[in-house]
Amino acid sequence: MNSTNKPPREAVKAGAHDVIPSARSAWGKYAAGMALALLPFALLFDDPHWVNIIAVTYLMGGLAAAWNIIGGFGGQFSLGHGVFFGIGAYTTASLFIRFGWSPWLTMVPIAALAAGVAMLISWPTFRLRGPFFAIATLAFNEVAFVLANHMESLTGGPRGLMIPFKAGIANMIFSQRWQYAILMFCFVALVIGVSVWLRRSRLGYYLLAVREDEDAARAAGIDVLGTKLRGMALSAGLTSIGGTLFAMYLRYIDPPTIFTLSDIGVKFALLSLIGGIGTVAGPLLGAALIIPFENWLRAEFANSLPGVSLAILGLLMVLAALFMKRGIVGAIESLFKRLQGSKSKDRP
Amino acid sequence: MDQILTVLTVGILLGGIYGLVSIGLNLIFGVVRIVNFAQGELVMFGMYGTYFAYTHLHIHPYLSVFIVAPLVGLLGMVIQRLVIQPLTSEPNMQIFATFGLLMFFQNTMLAVSRGEAYSVGSMAGTGVLELGDLKLSSVRLVTLGAATLITIGLHLFLSRTMAGRAIRAVTQDKRAARAMGINVERTFLITFGIGAALAGMAGALLTPIYSITPAVGGNFILAAFAVVVLGGLGSVWGAYIGGLIVGIVEAFAGFYIDPVLRSAVWFIIFLIVLIVRPAGLLGQAGAEEVGFREQH
Amino acid sequence: MNEILGVHKVSKQFGGLRAVDNVSLSVNQGEIVSIIGPNGAGKTTFFNLLTGQIAPTEGEVRLNGQLINTLPPHARARLGMGRTFQIAKPLIALNALENVMIGAFLHDAPLSAARDKAMAVLERVGMAHLAARRAGDLTLSERRRLEVARALALQPQIVLLDEVMAGLNQSEVGHEIELLRSLHAEGLTFLIIEHNLKVVRAFSDRVVVLDRGGLIAEGTADEILNSPVVIEAYLGSGHAGSGREFSQLAAQGARA
Repeated sequence: MNSTNKPPREAVKAGAHDVIPSARSAWGKYAAGMALALLPFALLFDDPHWVNIIAVTYLMGGLAAAWNIIGGFGGQFSLGHGVFFGIGAYTTASLFIRFGWSPWLTMVPIAALAAGVAMLISWPTFRLRGPFFAIATLAFNEVAFVLANHMESLTGGPRGLMIPFKAGIANMIFSQRWQYAILMFCFVALVIGVSVWLRRSRLGYYLLAVREDEDAARAAGIDVLGTKLRGMALSAGLTSIGGTLFAMYLRYIDPPTIFTLSDIGVKFALLSLIGGIGTVAGPLLGAALIIPFENWLRAEFANSLPGVSLAILGLLMVLAALFMKRGIVGAIESLFKRLQGSKSKDRP
Repeated sequence: MDQILTVLTVGILLGGIYGLVSIGLNLIFGVVRIVNFAQGELVMFGMYGTYFAYTHLHIHPYLSVFIVAPLVGLLGMVIQRLVIQPLTSEPNMQIFATFGLLMFFQNTMLAVSRGEAYSVGSMAGTGVLELGDLKLSSVRLVTLGAATLITIGLHLFLSRTMAGRAIRAVTQDKRAARAMGINVERTFLITFGIGAALAGMAGALLTPIYSITPAVGGNFILAAFAVVVLGGLGSVWGAYIGGLIVGIVEAFAGFYIDPVLRSAVWFIIFLIVLIVRPAGLLGQAGAEEVGFREQH
Repeated sequence: MNEILGVHKVSKQFGGLRAVDNVSLSVNQGEIVSIIGPNGAGKTTFFNLLTGQIAPTEGEVRLNGQLINTLPPHARARLGMGRTFQIAKPLIALNALENVMIGAFLHDAPLSAARDKAMAVLERVGMAHLAARRAGDLTLSERRRLEVARALALQPQIVLLDEVMAGLNQSEVGHEIELLRSLHAEGLTFLIIEHNLKVVRAFSDRVVVLDRGGLIAEGTADEILNSPVVIEAYLGSGHAGSGREFSQLAAQGARA
C-alpha cells in the first residue's frame, strides 16, 4: 500500500507550519493591511476632493483584486471584465430607476447573473491560448459596448442612464462623499478578504497550478477547464458588485463610461500588474499608486495635453511588462531577499 | 438582385481595406507568433505621416507611401527589438506590452494633435466609377487594387527571395530553422519591420477614405484579428481572401440586420473559426497551434 | 494477482501511420514493468494512450478493471494513475511543499491537511529540507524527485514514470533507484519507460520491448537483454551503441 498514509510526525508538522503561513499570520497581515489602507481616509475625510480620490482608489483596488483572481492567480488575462462591470452597473441602475429596487437587494443576484454569463462566454474561449484568449475577451467587451448602445429600451442607448438623487441608505445613495468612501472600502476589504481566503484554499492552489503548467495540473487530478470556470465566475461576480457600487456613486452611466478599455477593463489588469500580479496586496497597492497619480495628471493637463494620463499609463504598462513583471510587491520581496542575504529558511 | 449586387460590391471594397490592413498583422502573427495589439496604431501613424507629407510637403497621399512605409517599418523594428524580443517566452506579458504601446501611441497622438481630426479631403478623390448601375468609389477601388498588388508582391517575396524563404522556414519551425543556421532574431526583426511597413502603407492609402483621428486604429484592429484568424496564420493569400469574406459578411449583416452590429460580426467569425477550424481557411498545418500551444 | 493496469490489443492510427499496433500488456499489483525500445518505436505514443493524452483507435485500456479509453488525463489521475513527465514540469513559482500540496489536495481539501500530507511525502522522498525552496531553484534531480512526490501525494494505484532518469548523472541515478526501490518495497506498482538499460536491469520485474509500434518481446530483464530479437531491433535501427550496451549488460550477468 501507499506510504503516505502514515500520520505525520510532530516535528514534521512544525516544519510545515514554517513554510506555509498560518491562518493567524495571513489574516493578521490582512487586518493590518486593511487598517493601513483606511489611514488615508481617516486623515483626509473632511476634504471632499481627496475623499473622492480615496473612494475611487478603493473601488478600483477592489476591481483590480477581482480581476486578479482569474488574471493573477489563474493566469488567464481577460481584457473583457468590462462586461461583468457593465452587467453590474447597468442592471442595478436599470432596476433601481424602473422599479425602485434597492441595490443592496439586487446586488447579489446580479452578481450571480454576471457569474453565469462569465461561465457561458468563457467556456468556449478558455481553450484558446493567452493572446488569443485576450483577443476573444476584448471582442466580448466590444460586443457589449455595441449592445449597450443598441438596446435603448434597456440601457438608454447612447444617452445612458441617469439615477435620480434619492438619498437614503436603503437606496445606496449617500449625501456625503465620505459615506461612499466607507462603502468602497468595504468593497475592497471584501474582495481582498476573498483573495486571502482563496490563496489558502484548494481552488486557489488549483488556479495557481493551472497558471503554472496545465499539463502538470492535469497529472495532479485537476480539472483545468472547471477550475478556470470557477475562478472566472468568482472574479466576474465580484467585478459586478463593483459595477453596482460604481453606478450608485456616479449616478450616471453610458456605454463609453463603462466599456472604454483603457479606463475600465484594461485598467483593472494594469493596476494589478503595477502592484504585483498574482499577489494579494498587489492590486490595491497598484491602485493606491496609480489612481491619485492619474488624477493629478488629468487635472494638470486635461486642457493643454489631452490623453497625457493614458499615454503615461500605457508607457508604464510597457515598462512594467519589461522590467517589473512582479510589480511593486515583487520588487519589495526581491529587496527583502537581498537584504536577508544568505539567511535562508532551509534547514540543512 | 440589384440590391444584392450593391451590397456585395460594398462588401468587396470593404474587404479590400481589411485585407490591406490585415496583411501586416498576419505576417507578424504568423512568423513572430505574437499578437500585436498596436498594429492599428501603426496604421494611424501611416495616416498622420501621410497627412503631414500632404500639408507640408504637398505630396499626394498615394505617393507618400514611399516615405511613410519605410519610416513606420523602422518604428516596427525598434518595437520588435526593444519591446517584443525581451519578452519572447512570456506571451502574457506581451499582451501588456503591446496593449501598453497601443495606449501610449494613441494618446500621445491625441496630446500632440489636441484632439483635432484631420482629413486629406477630396484631393485624392471623390471620384466614382460607374459600372452599369453600380457606383464604385474610386479610392476604394484603388485600395482594393493596392491590396491585391501587395498580396501578390508579398507572396513573391516569400517564395522567391532568400529573406522570404528564411521567414517561411522560421514560421514553420523556429528550432529547425535555427539549426539550419538561420538567424531567427534577425528574421523576426525584418518581419516585424515589413509588417509595420505594410501597416504604414495601408495608412497612407486609406487617408482619402477615413478621417484621421488618434483612435482611427480602433476601426480596424478587431476586424483585422478576425481576418487573420479566418484566413489562416502564415498565409498571405489567406489574409487577402479573409479580408474579402469579412468585408462581404459585414456588408450583408449591416444591410439586412443592423450596421451597428459590425463588431459582433467580427467577433462571431473569430470565435466560430477558432472552434470549428482553428487553422483557418488557408493556414499552414501546425499554425493553428499558435492559438492553442506555444511554438518551441 | 490483482491487475492494476490492463492494456488489451491497443492500436493508434495517425492517418496512414500505425504508431501503436495491437499491443497488449498487463501490470499487476506490486509489479515493476519497464517499456524499452529503439527511438521511434512508439513508446511515447503508447505512454500517451495510457495517460489519456490521446485515445486509442482500437483496443481497451483498463485501470483496476475500469475502462478508461475516453477518460481525460485528470480523471485518470483521480482514479489512481500517477505520472511524471519526460521533461520535468515543476510549478516554478511555488515552493516544493506547495508543489506536492497540489497533489495532496486531491484527497484533502482543507489547507492544513493537504500541507501536512505533502510534508510527509516530502519527508518520505528525502526532500523535507527543501520544502520552502522555490521549485524553479531546484536542481534537475530534485525536480524529478519533486514530480515523483507530487504523484505520490495522489495516493496512486500505479505510478507511470516517463524517462525519470534522463539527464541524471551516475550517482543521482543510484539515489533515484534507491528511492524507487523503497517505494516499491511498500507495495507501490510501477510502469516505466526507460532508455537507460542499466536502470532497467536494476529496477524491473518484467521488461516489454516495443519496436515500430508493436510488442516484440516480453520477459525478465535477463531474458530480454540476451534476446537476439531485441538486439536485432536495436542494431537494426542503427542503434549500434545499444548493441554494445546489450552485450556488456548480458555479460555482466547477475550484477545489480
